[in-house]
Amino acid sequence: MTLLFAVAVAILFGSGAYLLLKHDLVRVVIGMVLISNAANLFIISAGLSRGQAPIYPLADGEPVSDPLVQAMTLTAIVISFGVAALLLALVYRVYTSHLSLDLDELAEADERDEAVRDLATLTGRQR
Amino acid sequence: MLAVPFSLLLFVSNGTLATSGNTMDGGWQFNPAASLLALAVLSGPLTWLVGRWRPGLAWVAGALLAGGGLTTTIVAIATGDSGVDVAWAPSWGLRLAFDLDGLARLYALLATGIGLLVVIYARRYVPLHLHHQGRDEREAGPFFAAFLLFMGAMLGLVMARDLIALFVFWDVTALASYLLISYDRQDANARASALMALLVTGISALGLLVAALLIEDRYGTFDLGAVIAAAEAGDHSLGLTTGILIVSAALAKSAQLPFHFWLPRAMAAPTPVSAYLHSAAMVAAGVFLIGRFYPLLATEPRLLDGLAVVGAGSMAISGVLATTRADIKQVLAYSTISQYGYVVLMLGLGGQGHYGAVAAVFYVVAHALAKTALFLTAGAVTEATGERRLDRMGGLWRSMPALAAGSGAAAAGLAALPLTVGFFKDELFFAAALERGPAAVAVAVGGATLTIVYIGRFWGGIFLGPRRATADPVPLALVGPVVVLGAAILLTGVVPGPVARLAEAAAAVSLREAMTVSPAYHLDTRPENLMALASFVLGGTLLATRRFWSPAAMGLARIGQRFGPARAYGRGLDGFERFSGAMRRVEVRDLRGRVATILLPAGVLVIIALIATPTRDAFSFGTIQRGDAGLVMILIATCGAGIASTLPRDHLSMALTVSGVGYCLAVTYALFGAPDVALVAVLVETMFALLFLGMLSLLPRRVLAEEAAEPENHHHGRRDAALAVIAGVIALVVSWSALSRPTFRESVAVDYIELAPDAHARDVVTVILTDFRGLDTMGEITVIGIAMLGIAGLLRRGRLR
Repeated sequence: MTLLFAVAVAILFGSGAYLLLKHDLVRVVIGMVLISNAANLFIISAGLSRGQAPIYPLADGEPVSDPLVQAMTLTAIVISFGVAALLLALVYRVYTSHLSLDLDELAEADERDEAVRDLATLTGRQR
Repeated sequence: MLAVPFSLLLFVSNGTLATSGNTMDGGWQFNPAASLLALAVLSGPLTWLVGRWRPGLAWVAGALLAGGGLTTTIVAIATGDSGVDVAWAPSWGLRLAFDLDGLARLYALLATGIGLLVVIYARRYVPLHLHHQGRDEREAGPFFAAFLLFMGAMLGLVMARDLIALFVFWDVTALASYLLISYDRQDANARASALMALLVTGISALGLLVAALLIEDRYGTFDLGAVIAAAEAGDHSLGLTTGILIVSAALAKSAQLPFHFWLPRAMAAPTPVSAYLHSAAMVAAGVFLIGRFYPLLATEPRLLDGLAVVGAGSMAISGVLATTRADIKQVLAYSTISQYGYVVLMLGLGGQGHYGAVAAVFYVVAHALAKTALFLTAGAVTEATGERRLDRMGGLWRSMPALAAGSGAAAAGLAALPLTVGFFKDELFFAAALERGPAAVAVAVGGATLTIVYIGRFWGGIFLGPRRATADPVPLALVGPVVVLGAAILLTGVVPGPVARLAEAAAAVSLREAMTVSPAYHLDTRPENLMALASFVLGGTLLATRRFWSPAAMGLARIGQRFGPARAYGRGLDGFERFSGAMRRVEVRDLRGRVATILLPAGVLVIIALIATPTRDAFSFGTIQRGDAGLVMILIATCGAGIASTLPRDHLSMALTVSGVGYCLAVTYALFGAPDVALVAVLVETMFALLFLGMLSLLPRRVLAEEAAEPENHHHGRRDAALAVIAGVIALVVSWSALSRPTFRESVAVDYIELAPDAHARDVVTVILTDFRGLDTMGEITVIGIAMLGIAGLLRRGRLR
């Protein structure tokens, strides 16, 4: 079971990393979501006990699932949702200001801007 | 004096200050160490505040604070040792432990006494300086603030007994010197010089921090007194590495080879700064550090031999270079390096019960008096003539007789002529050399000769010979301090006893035994006198025959410029800049490059850790129980969905597959015995899917289609896949090893389960979130709130209405 959880975490993390390396910004966001999912799964599988839900009344003699990691996971899920939503909004914002979602094109545009700025400071200094 | 009320506050306020030394009857007693410590901390900020309030009064605050420090130091010299010792961070074994012992008193006297004179000088000099550069006179405020910050840091440094406090004050001196050297901030050269001084002394200061940690590791305490006691009891020797780190920090600060190159560059600072930092204070701090750690350094005789070699080398090379410089401040800068070379040489010769340490301390005092006066002279002369080069001056004694007399006394003091305190500094130096045989004697006479040559050239070039420049009258405040210092040099040349007593008290701290010197004039043919005579004759001859040998000296200077360590510094700086530019291009310009640069080294580190740690029993496969079939199946489905979400080309399928991953995980949570988490996961996943689809509908279909259709570069595709596999392996190793070793000891979860009914709740997870860890939840809500505000702002194109 331990190995199975670890493999699931690893596959989610690897898939997320793969998408992070793409040049499409939407895929980058998806990659982040997958990595967050991997983290959430890891947190909950780090629980010390597994069994019935930690809700009273509890049946005697049966193990109770670790409530601490559940609370942590809850927090993590909500936060990662906030992050993902913010990233999506950022992607939209990038599109509205650059009319592109392609990292290669964005980097090129950035370099062009920088060259223009350098030139401006250079001529400014000469003056 | 301003300092006194503060110190009263400090030592009357409570009884926890452990005071020693001058105990008087009654509960209240004046503790010089406490008041100097208050000055050390408050001088800079107070002057800054006054400068903000009335820029014209900043110098008054500075003079009052320096004068208060001087008075307190003199009281301390009269009354003896005192100290402060309060808990700072007890759990780390740190105490605010400060001792005003003999060594500290001597350097405190230099810092405050010369500081006071230089503040008085700067009062007129700085406004003139600002006026020449067309700057606002209100900028004098920050000058005095940085100056007093430096003085305070010196006071703290010389008293610190705790190694960490020592390091902190050591670093503050470097910062303050950066501010002072770059005071002409419109001048790129001044900025570069300040950066050089900061880097050279700051990086070597890190060595001092490492040395402090090594000492703590070896002796178990940061208290220098306890460390020295332990070393004397024969418990441990210092260790060569620690010693080299300490000595390197000291040599960098004292501008000794091979770190010397920052000092001539630092002459870009206004002249009062050069006079204070680069003769009496900052450069002296390095030698002070050696004196402070001397009992420890002496346990490693090789260190002392190294000091002697470095000192002799610095003395010789920069002595020769000083004879070649045309700029008057440059002459003085190289002269300072050379003179501190003497001091370091003496400290190196001084081990094994010899009295080099006394001679070194005596030398520091004599040199500080003389060199400050000469720097102040250089400033006044430049102010009067507008020139900085020796070959454009001359014959100025007629228009500035007082300045010529004062600086003449200082020059004579540096050249060790009789009737000045300098004569005794060389007498002690020669005596220390005589103890070590003929080689040391030759080096000593050579050094003294060089001093006479360059200082004779400096003073003669300015005040004697044909007149080449006209001198405007200069204010009295620019001449007065020079005359005071010159008088002090002559006075102590006749009555050297007080300086000798100070030096003895200081050296007793370094040597851990009382050592007496009795400087006096002897009209006989003892070896010291013969050596002095030889250096006078040689120096005079060399001065007279200067044009025959100066080309050779210039050649040496050129070789130094081409192959010296300054070049290595420049190369190193360029290299770092290129490296950081390259890193920026990889990191900032391209997100994917950044991800790759994080993933690859992380993978390498994990693999190294895997190889280095024992893998036996580190991984457990776990057991699959009877009811786990559902969990196994849904985990496999999760894996499949995860892989599937990387495959589709178009964004809609991708949104659906990634939602699939989320729902699979929700089911996992449900089967794991976590219904709360499962509920929230379903909710969040649904919201995210809707949000994602909403955003896709906002983007033009054409753009999305382009992104989806664009073929992935084949080479990149392989690289990405390889990196993804590496990332997966990292995650697998880390998570598997973490999950295999649960620590079963006393989990707080058990308490939570038991306490839940007391919180009037049936659901333990809910009560954890809302009650037991309610503060966490509040932080979480805040984060989400901020994220939502950000999203709202972004969607409105940056305008939040």
